[in-house]
Amino acid sequence: MDNQLVPIVTVPEVATVVDIREEIADVRTFYFTFDRPEIERAFRIRSGQFIMCTVFGAGEFAVSLPFSPENDRKHISVRKVGKVTAALHELQPGDKIGIRGPFGNGFPFEEIKGKNVIYVAGGIGLIPLRSSIVHVLQHRPDFGRMILVYGARSSRDLMYKDSIREWQATRDFETHFTIDRPEPGWTGQVGFVNQLVAGLNLPAENTVAFVCGPPVMFNAVIKELKLKGIKEQDIYSTLERHMKCGIGKCQHCAIGRTLVCVDGPVYTYRQIKTLGEQI
Amino acid sequence: MSYYRGICNFCGTGCGHLLQVEGNRVRGVYPLPGHPLSRGRLCVRGWHIHELLQTEERITSPLIREGNSFRPVSFDEAVDFTASRLKTFSGREVAFLGSPRASNEENYLFGKFARAVMKSNNLSLTSDAGLEESSRVLLEGCGLPAMTGSLSALRQADFILVVGGDLTKQNPIIASEIHFARRSGTFVATISPRKTQMARLSQKHLRPNPGTIWLLLEALARALRTEGLVRGDDLEERVENARQYLEYLDSLDLKQASESTGVEEQEIISLARKFYESESAFAFYPVGIQSLDRRSMSALLNLFLLAGKLDRPAGGMCPVTGISNLLGSLDMGVSPAFLPGYFPVEAEESWRRFEELWQVGLNRTPGKSAAACLQEDRSIKALLVVDHDEEIIRHVNRIKELEFVVYFGAYQNAFASLATVIFPRLNYVEGDGTYTNSERRVQLSQKKVEPPAGIKPMWEILSRLASALGQPWPYKSAEEIMTEISRVVPQYSGLSHEKLRASLGLRWPVDDRHPGGTEFPLAEETGRGFKFVFDGAADRRQSLRSGKEGVFPFKLVVGRSNYFWHQNSVMKRTFIPRREYNALLLLYPNGFVEVSEEDARALGLREKQPVRIVSEAAEIRLATRISPDILPGMLYIPYFIEEMISGFLHRQVSELEKNEEFFLPVRLEKVE
Amino acid sequence: MYWLPRDQVRALVNRLAESYAVYGPRRDEVSGEVVFDRLEELERLDLQAAIPYNPPKHALLPQYEEILKYLYSKQSQKVTIEKISKVEPKALVGLRACDLNGILCLDRFFLGQEFVDEIYLEHRKKLFIISNTCVRPFPQCFCVCTDSGPAAGEGFDLDLTCAGQGYLVLVGSKKGQRLVEELGLREAGSEAQNLREKIVAESVSSFDNFALENKAWVSRATNRLTTGFIKPEVWEYIGNQCFECGACSFVCPTCSCFNVEDVNRVDGPTDRVRTWDSCSFEGYTKMAGDHNPRKPVEDRRNKRFFCKLSYSQSKKYLRPGCVGCGRCARVCPGDIGLPNVVTYIRREITGE
Repeated sequence: MDNQLVPIVTVPEVATVVDIREEIADVRTFYFTFDRPEIERAFRIRSGQFIMCTVFGAGEFAVSLPFSPENDRKHISVRKVGKVTAALHELQPGDKIGIRGPFGNGFPFEEIKGKNVIYVAGGIGLIPLRSSIVHVLQHRPDFGRMILVYGARSSRDLMYKDSIREWQATRDFETHFTIDRPEPGWTGQVGFVNQLVAGLNLPAENTVAFVCGPPVMFNAVIKELKLKGIKEQDIYSTLERHMKCGIGKCQHCAIGRTLVCVDGPVYTYRQIKTLGEQI
Repeated sequence: MSYYRGICNFCGTGCGHLLQVEGNRVRGVYPLPGHPLSRGRLCVRGWHIHELLQTEERITSPLIREGNSFRPVSFDEAVDFTASRLKTFSGREVAFLGSPRASNEENYLFGKFARAVMKSNNLSLTSDAGLEESSRVLLEGCGLPAMTGSLSALRQADFILVVGGDLTKQNPIIASEIHFARRSGTFVATISPRKTQMARLSQKHLRPNPGTIWLLLEALARALRTEGLVRGDDLEERVENARQYLEYLDSLDLKQASESTGVEEQEIISLARKFYESESAFAFYPVGIQSLDRRSMSALLNLFLLAGKLDRPAGGMCPVTGISNLLGSLDMGVSPAFLPGYFPVEAEESWRRFEELWQVGLNRTPGKSAAACLQEDRSIKALLVVDHDEEIIRHVNRIKELEFVVYFGAYQNAFASLATVIFPRLNYVEGDGTYTNSERRVQLSQKKVEPPAGIKPMWEILSRLASALGQPWPYKSAEEIMTEISRVVPQYSGLSHEKLRASLGLRWPVDDRHPGGTEFPLAEETGRGFKFVFDGAADRRQSLRSGKEGVFPFKLVVGRSNYFWHQNSVMKRTFIPRREYNALLLLYPNGFVEVSEEDARALGLREKQPVRIVSEAAEIRLATRISPDILPGMLYIPYFIEEMISGFLHRQVSELEKNEEFFLPVRLEKVE
Repeated sequence: MYWLPRDQVRALVNRLAESYAVYGPRRDEVSGEVVFDRLEELERLDLQAAIPYNPPKHALLPQYEEILKYLYSKQSQKVTIEKISKVEPKALVGLRACDLNGILCLDRFFLGQEFVDEIYLEHRKKLFIISNTCVRPFPQCFCVCTDSGPAAGEGFDLDLTCAGQGYLVLVGSKKGQRLVEELGLREAGSEAQNLREKIVAESVSSFDNFALENKAWVSRATNRLTTGFIKPEVWEYIGNQCFECGACSFVCPTCSCFNVEDVNRVDGPTDRVRTWDSCSFEGYTKMAGDHNPRKPVEDRRNKRFFCKLSYSQSKKYLRPGCVGCGRCARVCPGDIGLPNVVTYIRREITGE
């Protein structure tokens, strides 16, 4: 397997935005290809990693990667929250962006082979998990049960609706969706993600869970998973932090003794608990 | 060599710094060790002044308005055009708005241009009201219009009283000096309704209800009497109008004052004792934007006079200026009240003196501040403005109506867009100039980089305009202007650039008797006339009455933050302070109002709950921020959210800027 | 070891100036204070001067540095990006041992971790370093507590120790050896090593009681910090006195946090600028979208002292993150420089 990852460290590589998709309010997905063919060919990632994306004239920001390491279109999904991301949202297909990375440790892939995999996401927390979901699906026979629990405030707030439709139709992939309040025409569950998790029959042995979402949801879900008997060291999440360099130098993402950009962004819940700061 | 000595140009502390200059650009800043006041420290703003000095949002060419846009013109064309237009106005039709950030030399010349060339006495600064009040009170009470104390002696003080504001945010390095004094044994007391960091760093914090600082100060004086510490006998020898003042003071009922201020009588008495027993005492209060009000300043002065603290060395009244050269600008007479050197405009001999010195006839009709002109005087037709660095422009509609507006500025900003002619100005590292900090310390800031091509020093622009208007001015450098200032302004008579180059600033008066400056002007001169400053007791009763409690039960006060400063037109050109300001905004994108824990409980408010603040004039929606720092009955809005200022405070902003003690009666409504 | 007579110091510096921009301590003529500065006028180099108020950090990690320049034309969809590498070779002359140790910390941090910082490397590889033993400590110094002085142990090209009418010269690199030979310095003789040791020992013994007493306390504070056994009240007490100016980070020889901004220039291109930053700022960890993981001031202070003194951080630097230069104490408006923090932790332990 080609695991030779040579990240782009200092000078961003120019890429072209080839397609833009409106996901939910204030969140857009930007598909891109590198301008230099040799980079386009050599660019490799691991699920759970992130890149530093330059919006020329505005600045750079860290963003987790939603695409699979294999056979998936390169894209990022970005919420408009500040000056730089707002500038990104102004871009049109054909416009240029700069990419550094990929950086960070990524989700374990080899270590979890043969296990049951549970994904729990809330809102835009699905973005960093998508990469792993697609990747595991691409290697479906190597894994046990595969379950996705995904919730959002309303059906309009669900990310990646195309992928969701695809996953719902995928054999051997149990998917559960929930929204906070009832809506006409909604056939999924209603309620919070943790409530949905509580009601599911989940495997505990030989199981790993990936959890991403807002802090309140995150903590509530962890509680449920632990009740189900899933061990803290088998629950993974990714942390988001303010980052300026991506290579462990600027120290903006330091939490105690760990640097999210190089030691993370993927941590087990057991590690997260010891970090001491608010998540 | 790449580090050059200089003076920080943000607040009125005047800290010494080293600017790192490489290739005609300022690349860094470092505190100057050995500076007598800042002693190697800078605040967060000072640590990032190089970021501001790197900005390219400069005005680089003279511009003349054409319709809705500006046409770059040559310097000569701009001068000729401006002079030809100015010729058509009489003195009373023109107003001048000077900048407290400009140097003494620039301000002196700006004032001279107004009075001697344009024959106009409508001359003021953007934020002078508080300082001018303070100077008047101090002049009247002790004959010295500025700080009677000295910051460098602060650590030797026994007692420091900080009144109003939050010095840790406004003048952090002065606050730091106070903190060091406290750590070495000085007793520090703070009087402010809000629990500021300054209050946290003090041994004692008295929290009067908003609007009652002056009353608490009078109560402290009253306590000196009730405790039998100050009797009448010797006081009459020291202070001119002692008898009348004691009568006034004794008419105050301490119990009632305690009730109105919300400070316990015992607290008042014990602080008064502590103060009285101290060997040397300092009082600090903010002037400039959000200054202490006249009443509180007078009460504070009276307290010090009563206890006999002013005629001793090591101590005194310390008005703290919020902007780098606020004091110097007033020294230079950029004021409707004073000619350069604090010669009062009311006195005929002031005018004779300047007619002789300037060899020109002057207009003796009293002028008004530029703000007053715009507000009430329909005869004003033209306005000349230097570096207006506030985002919110008051009287903007009136300014748009004017026939002619000249703007002298270094950076592009909102005010420039209102101008008819724009002259680019040097920033403070592109030319020589002196700046006078809160403690009367005149410091020379030397040129460190070449200005962008075509930008002329202010003295050259004004000289050319004066010549074009028939008064040939001979100035060839800022240094020559200081030579003239030393002839005109008695307090500066011993100053020259040459002398200042070899020093880290000299405190005025600098004259024949004090060639090295003066640390404690009052202590050195005996026989100075002291006088209590007060209005009548009837006036006091009037002030205590307030009518709107029923409909507007809350007192809204407005404050500042470290990073947002002077409406941010300066700080927004930096990276780190701007980021810190934005960090606050990220949490409360639409602004917040601080509510006390008690009121929040009583009203059932939770953190971030949207509320509506309603005053007589306007209303605004904000998020609740529950804070242990403020008193029940009080609301607090940090003065940093632009939309909030323009949308809500705009009509009330001139009031709010008047003084620290001002509050807005409002009510708070829950938004579900 | 070699011998450099005092009157030959100029020759040495002149020689260096042929290939390097010379940096060293100079005295400010008006304030009398010492600044570590770039010296065009080489005669201003003052090897007898006290420890400079600023560390030499700015020569490797400038306060404001353009690291990239790019130009993007939307019309032609053309992007040009260039790395700015106008880094000139520098000779840092007269570094005090604490400051040299500071540079070694920066080296390990920027060059020795997962990634190499290419911009720092660019500065670092063009450096010539001459250290200068402190034959007497200065009032704020406590390098004896942090094992970083008064004499340098490694990392220099040449090392000077003042001994009477000249300097004992230790050679630390081939570059240094070459320079010594070019200058034709003579061997210092067999007693030189002993003499240097004696001078250093004398210097150590003349440290202030405050520093010597604190020696054991620094390591106990390290222990407490690492294990987290410091009461929140201690941090709160420290946090209340913090003026949030960032100075402690800016003046620290080992603090290297930086910020990155893209600055659009009026003539078209954008500079990517990196500037000093400090973890004591609230916005430092702030993320877009209402979330600040490290909020109260005392937490932010806590982070910095953890970085300076904890074991885990020491592992990155291969030594404590504090080099005992005492600058943070002199520059702090709140009087909470590192020595005072150690004192507060000590008070907590002893219950004074």
